Amino acid sequence: MNRIAIVSALIAFLVGLTAATFSELRIFLPAILKGAVVTVQVSVLSIILFLFLSLIAGISRSRGNTAIRWIATIYIEVFRGTSLLVILFWMFFVMPEFGLTLSPLAAAVLAFGLNYGAYGAEVVRGAIGAVDKGQTEATIALNMSPYRRMTRIILPQAIAITIPGLSNLTIELIKGTALVSAVTLVDITYAAVQQNQLHYRTVEIFLITVMLYYCLAQFVRFGGEALEEYFTRHLNKRV
Amino acid sequence: MTHPMIQFDKVLKAYGALKVLEDLDFSVDKGEVVSIIGPSGSGKTTVLRVLMTLEPIQGGTMYVDGEPLNRMNVDGQLVDASKAHISRIRSKLGMVFQNFNLFPHMTALQNCIESPIYTQGKSKAEATDEAMRLLDMVGLADKAGHYPSQLSGGQQQRVAIARTLAMHPEVLLFDEPTSALDPEMVGEVLQVIRDLANSGNYTILLVTHQMGFAREVSDRVCFFDGGKMVEQGRPDDLFGNPQNQRLQQFLSKVLEAG
Repeated sequence: MNRIAIVSALIAFLVGLTAATFSELRIFLPAILKGAVVTVQVSVLSIILFLFLSLIAGISRSRGNTAIRWIATIYIEVFRGTSLLVILFWMFFVMPEFGLTLSPLAAAVLAFGLNYGAYGAEVVRGAIGAVDKGQTEATIALNMSPYRRMTRIILPQAIAITIPGLSNLTIELIKGTALVSAVTLVDITYAAVQQNQLHYRTVEIFLITVMLYYCLAQFVRFGGEALEEYFTRHLNKRV
Repeated sequence: MTHPMIQFDKVLKAYGALKVLEDLDFSVDKGEVVSIIGPSGSGKTTVLRVLMTLEPIQGGTMYVDGEPLNRMNVDGQLVDASKAHISRIRSKLGMVFQNFNLFPHMTALQNCIESPIYTQGKSKAEATDEAMRLLDMVGLADKAGHYPSQLSGGQQQRVAIARTLAMHPEVLLFDEPTSALDPEMVGEVLQVIRDLANSGNYTILLVTHQMGFAREVSDRVCFFDGGKMVEQGRPDDLFGNPQNQRLQQFLSKVLEAG
């Protein structure tokens, strides 16, 4: 009996202490969560574009004909070789000069998708190159078309190899979306800065900010691990 | 009109200045079983690889069943073959590799039906029936649902043979099919090849280091050295009474090693 009372009192004390410390949580948390929604929005759309471009440009650069390979190479080198923030400014502030006005969200998604797609393409190209040459030779001996060879034999094996690299880039992309405040979007980071200016609860606000990013990164991590497990379930490690 | 099943006409294969095959003239008749032996670097595997179009050649013409493979006839002129032409001629060839090269993400059965379905347009049921018959023939019907990583080397190579046969080739190319196997698995693979050779249904080109097996199954044995065919003949003549000095040296070394 006594022990239960002590534990209950301890729990009540800790809850009270936490409530007191984070008493203004309900004041600034909604704004930060609204920012989290924007971060997730930008991230998810950018990730879709980034993975799509990685695949297309990566395949084009490894197996396309000369013209396609050139286009892929130019795309990769332009976006790898330029600053993401500057590309973001281009999308939002410069494109309207050429008659293309983008919403902040569209500008952010395009900038992030194009930039990370260039890095991802190199991951995909490396993975395609890492698939055993004997696999290609077997498809030739079986008279398979180049399209079937890529979609049925090479890619299923290459994708397993891309996952650690692409997971890394995905996590980096999510954290990198803190840049979108430059084009007027209020994401987690910018919302936190605003709330800090209003309430001066620096420790709590930025602790929550860090935790939110960490949680998002964990989603990607577990997703990546599950996918890797799935794609490598039958592959033998050549000895 | 009779023509050889396989014919090499002055075929040149070179990597830069290094000539791997030099002006090779070589032919194999329909139904013939020919073994190619020789030291490493002699170009013997290259003969199979260029024929299977895994590597381009720098000169000459290869013919399959009387039709040019790497060239084609356009208005009476031989020009470089289109991809469609190569694909059509290549469908008469099948190749079994030293390292099996099974598709690791597919089961034994899926390996055997993949190309029949997507390249030859067979129905899945038809391709599966045929593949099961072939897997049964190589003694692996009970392993149809296994992935390559779950099979021994000898079993993988037998699946690879079934996969090749599923495409109904007329010519079988075996590239050192037992070289990557543990000794106790060599026999089971050789037995399958022996059955294919004895069936008389296939023209077979076999690159091998198994001299006893080459002597047993071949109609003819060719000795390659330095990118050239140095000597060829019936197995008993070539092994029993080699004329060329390099062949004599090669055989004494190989037989010494056991």
